[in-house]
Amino acid sequence: MPRFDEYTGEHLIPPYRILDLTDRRAAFCARLLADYGADVVKVEPPSGDPSRRLGPYPSDSSDPERSLDFLFYNTNKRSITLDLETESGRSLFRRLAADADVIVESFDRHYLYDRGIGFDALRADNPGLIMASVTPFGNTGEWADYQGDDLVVMAASGYMQITGEPDEPPVRQGNEHSHYPAAQYAAVGILAALYHRDFGGGIGQHIDVSSQEALITYYTDAHPALLWRKLGQNVTRVGTNSTLVIPLGAYPCKDGWIAAGVITPREWDALAAWIHEVTGNDEVLSEAYRGGNQDRAEHIDIITALFLEFAENFTVQELFHEGQRRNLVFLPVNEIADLLADPQLADSGFWYDIEHDDSAIGAVKYPLGIFHSDDVQARSRPAPTLGADNAAVYQGELGLTPAELATLSADGII
Amino acid sequence: MTTAVPQTQSATPSALTGIRVVEFGPYVALPLTGRILGSLGAEVIKVETNKVLDEMAFIPAWSRGAGQPEYQRGKRRITLDVRTDAGRDLILEMVRISDVFMTNFRRNVLDRWGIDFPEIRRQRPDAIIMWQTGLGGHGPYYTYKSFGILVQHLSGVSLMTGLPDEPPGVVNTSYSDYHTGVFQPAGIIAALMRRNLTGKTATLESSIFKSGVATCGPALLDYQVNGRGPRRRGNRDAWAAPHGVYPCAPDPVSGDADRYVAISVADDDQWARFRKAAGDPAWAAAPEYATRLGRQRNQDALDAAISEWTQPQESAMLMDTLQHAGVPAGIVSQGTDLNDSAHLKSRNFYQDTQYWEAERGVKATEWVEGESVSWSIPAKMSGTPIAFGNYSNIGQDNAYVFGDLLGLTSGEIADLEAAGVIY
Repeated sequence: MPRFDEYTGEHLIPPYRILDLTDRRAAFCARLLADYGADVVKVEPPSGDPSRRLGPYPSDSSDPERSLDFLFYNTNKRSITLDLETESGRSLFRRLAADADVIVESFDRHYLYDRGIGFDALRADNPGLIMASVTPFGNTGEWADYQGDDLVVMAASGYMQITGEPDEPPVRQGNEHSHYPAAQYAAVGILAALYHRDFGGGIGQHIDVSSQEALITYYTDAHPALLWRKLGQNVTRVGTNSTLVIPLGAYPCKDGWIAAGVITPREWDALAAWIHEVTGNDEVLSEAYRGGNQDRAEHIDIITALFLEFAENFTVQELFHEGQRRNLVFLPVNEIADLLADPQLADSGFWYDIEHDDSAIGAVKYPLGIFHSDDVQARSRPAPTLGADNAAVYQGELGLTPAELATLSADGII
Repeated sequence: MTTAVPQTQSATPSALTGIRVVEFGPYVALPLTGRILGSLGAEVIKVETNKVLDEMAFIPAWSRGAGQPEYQRGKRRITLDVRTDAGRDLILEMVRISDVFMTNFRRNVLDRWGIDFPEIRRQRPDAIIMWQTGLGGHGPYYTYKSFGILVQHLSGVSLMTGLPDEPPGVVNTSYSDYHTGVFQPAGIIAALMRRNLTGKTATLESSIFKSGVATCGPALLDYQVNGRGPRRRGNRDAWAAPHGVYPCAPDPVSGDADRYVAISVADDDQWARFRKAAGDPAWAAAPEYATRLGRQRNQDALDAAISEWTQPQESAMLMDTLQHAGVPAGIVSQGTDLNDSAHLKSRNFYQDTQYWEAERGVKATEWVEGESVSWSIPAKMSGTPIAFGNYSNIGQDNAYVFGDLLGLTSGEIADLEAAGVIY
């Protein structure tokens, strides 16, 4: 059983010590754990995490302490610097790992082993250690040494195959989506491993997460492998439409785009009646279009034309609220500005205001309230400055003297 | 009634051995959460009824339930009409012997059935409650309907995808349902730890909407700090060039012409490797491509030249060639590639499974059995099993749950079946 004398359950996750050696591929995993209460220490090279050198920056003025990319993926973490390329750096790392509950990392699979600080070496001093490794294609198999960034993982998972316009090449989701699925699965695996260790009489273990596999599971309802086996077909791109729900899509209206989709026969009848009310066009009431959602597949072009003629009479908000009043799934196509002003998100405990000491950034809303609860809160500390916690960790915990810390710093190790 | 299938037993205890979960709700996100918890060793009791089938058994239309194992493996599946008094009493009895209650029904629906959260707490004061909704359990949209594909639009992701002169770009899948489905087990396991350490329980609310917005990334900060919305730039990237997908030769097996390879060259070293892998053709030696800045400035010409080079090549071989040279590259996988992938096979990612062909108006126990395929949970754990799990049909575990767990006699169960309660 872990001893957490201070832990009273204010946050969902007990203050487990987690060493974060991830890049953007898995930084969201450690962030999730940090947001909900874990004590996550980001171990950065003395030059800083590479994402500190990625934009965007306030006013586009490059500054490693102001990378909005770094700030987004590293809330509620602490930061220490350490050069794992040196023996003294690795020696310090071994001491940190001996007291850690979890290490989460996203190096290529040989990196830590080649330096003598792989899972097996570290667990020798700490049998309870849990390590999660997130790599593009996993730690085993023919592609284990293949490289992959967001684009390549999105391609190899097949996710891009069904993203984009039908007659154009596959397109990437612009939010660098591949960073989330593997990070989420790694967080689940870590928490399960901690549960097993501390409440199930177990010991530590290693968790291998492939970004490719994780992303494949995020389009399960397209069933790519199954469709091939069953019908000898491949999934493909259908623009904003869908092969799953008909009609479905994003449609232009007076002041933007409205997203709408019809699943049940009752929903279709309600939509057809509304379109008829507005346009007076009798064709929409045709028996041929009624029924379950797949029954309309062959009429999709006509139905879309009827819908467009109808939608242009309204604003996004009019369609959204009146559609929902009629029990139809109508949703606005939102920009970032819309999200920040959205009354539902504001009411859902979703945004956490984080005040940055840096006036170039100021007060910013972060999307940390994935779970809303009267019982627990997320934390709301900004991402750390580089090496902000060196003294607290190296002196306060490892017992180095200020002089030793100064020497390691002068030698470029910390 | 069919016999209950014994769930897989393993010598090593699973991570969540001893945890029992009541899963109450259809579609994608909630069942995925249940499947993950089940694969980690929790006993997940899924409450369904033949009277109202999960629409996912008919989406896509051709699947007829063949895709359901991916969401429903490793659970104890029972039938219960909770709209009856006896049905309501039985689900509450299940709550009494469970650690977690999770549902995706809306507040007004739960209230109508008398399975509201205060009642859950009365039955089991320390139950962890996970309440998942589309747009939010409270607040101005709490009665509103949604589903995962469209939440890509609602959550801001579609206006980051594609090109400015095209409709908002989406992936043909229930996007944020999956985020929700994988966030929730993390919240539940953490809440169990917290309960064990402090004795305090928790009710957690999640929504498909919030899970989607959480993936907007640094663009959320860029807007607030710089007042600038995301640029829709197709496959291009400020940090790499070339960075895109390039057309390849028709598939040698299927003949499908829709074949592409993604190539991402982040720096000059990778560009040198790319040139070498390509046999250093004259076009690649052009001085304007020598630096990243130059490649960024001349992307249209560069992409055209690379496309001409990739067009006659077979995509999978090209991926291997580039990867062996140290260039990040990947085929845009189709179902054929995923199904046949030696890499995924070696990791045992897809596994064969039986399923039952869903048919409206026919009791699930009468459905025809068939062969399907399902993925395995993508967190490979070295110390505790990740169970692929057995696949029960709807109602197949009635005898185990109502008899072995709740202590009903077979006569009582038969009476409840006859009364349409267990149905």
